[in-house]
Amino acid sequence: MDDKSTIICRCEEISCEEVEEVISNGGRTFDDVKRITRCGMGPCQAKICTSLVAEIIHQQTGLSLSEIPLPRMRMPISPIKLETLATNSTSFSAVKSVLDEVELEEGKVR
Amino acid sequence: METNYETIVIGGGVVGSGIAYHLSERYKEGVLVLDKKYPMSGTSGSTQAWVWVHNKTPSWYAEFNMYSAELYPYLSKKIGDVEYKRTGGLSPFFNESDREKALKLAESYRKIGIKIKVLSREEVLEKEPYMNPEVAGATYSSIDGNVNPFRLIDMYMRAAKRNGVRYSTYNKVTEIKKQDGKYSVVSDKGAFECKNLILAGGTWSREIGDMLGVKIPVNQLRGQILVSEPLKPFLNFTISGLRQANNGEVLMGYSMEEAGFNRATTLDVIQETANMAVRYVPGLRKAKIVRAFSGIRAMPEDGFPILGKVPGHENLYAAATHSGVTLSPLIGTLITELIMDGETSIPIDRYSLSRFG
Repeated sequence: MDDKSTIICRCEEISCEEVEEVISNGGRTFDDVKRITRCGMGPCQAKICTSLVAEIIHQQTGLSLSEIPLPRMRMPISPIKLETLATNSTSFSAVKSVLDEVELEEGKVR
Repeated sequence: METNYETIVIGGGVVGSGIAYHLSERYKEGVLVLDKKYPMSGTSGSTQAWVWVHNKTPSWYAEFNMYSAELYPYLSKKIGDVEYKRTGGLSPFFNESDREKALKLAESYRKIGIKIKVLSREEVLEKEPYMNPEVAGATYSSIDGNVNPFRLIDMYMRAAKRNGVRYSTYNKVTEIKKQDGKYSVVSDKGAFECKNLILAGGTWSREIGDMLGVKIPVNQLRGQILVSEPLKPFLNFTISGLRQANNGEVLMGYSMEEAGFNRATTLDVIQETANMAVRYVPGLRKAKIVRAFSGIRAMPEDGFPILGKVPGHENLYAAATHSGVTLSPLIGTLITELIMDGETSIPIDRYSLSRFG
């Protein structure tokens, strides 16, 4: 890409130059670029910019495209409302409240 | 690449990079940081990044966290904007029966000079109007806040590099040897020699310790987090369970599972997290979730940091802890003092590896 100001990630408005900087500092994967620039963290979750970033990594490092890992896709793939995920249960097992973790010992905080 | 260094840090996460940066402020000898991948690819890049003091027990451990939180405003002046916000922290409870526990917590903290208030329902809603009106109360501390973990580690790395620290990334350590009073650290990209060696491998501390026959008892604890779309700023505090970032996203989650290094997200915990979030802040019901993620916490066997000299091994140091984001400025400062001055400005004996026998 000749114009370094070209936008690679439309959701977060991340330019080619910003992506290149991460790679010149040692980043090798889409997720390295993502964590430093927010490229791919927006509503589309990297559906637009994945291959553009891979192309830049390839150009700068010489890694072949097959050696560049894909970004990690996560639920829910496409944005959904929190209420769709909620089941309205009020019992919790893996999820804690911070105060639950405060233990009392003989009537005193440990 | 130069292969001789005065000091090598294994691990470039928030703990290792925090140490490297603080060392580089005073120390002009060579420092190398080795990371098996790229910093933030592990625990440090998958966190809500609360800078959190209150509710930690015993009170001496809360005090240790407080000293670190106190360093944050100064740190952001030195290394640049890390989006640190001292919002104050709220831990809500929904059963009146929890008030007694909250009051006892406040009392144990008062003795060491940390102020926690136990708020009534009305006081909680006045501070945080979007909190569920069914809340019974909350503990509140003004010292708590949050930081952008990506900015934090990126800024630590940039500042450390400006001061001469070298990083070698995507470079896994495979063997460590002690010879002629020096450590030889063998990695994928060759061997490096150093006088001082600092083990800051986080969740991988056990494996790294094994290379030297040192037992560093750190286990893994998974946490899963949901991220919303950017919303207008509406949450004032860091709530233990969720917080709003500068760009408007809300991060939700406070789960703990023993799952080794498995970083999957699972529907059951995502649903529980959604239940917690709508219970705390019902207005989030209509907010869209764009992503779930999970991270593996480093959890020393007894829950407390492992810090300082490794007994019986000259010039070998360990730094492995839970709450690395909160503690990193203090750990960086203390390990630097230990290396340069031979002693620390606050005692860290109780955090020594020797307690595990």
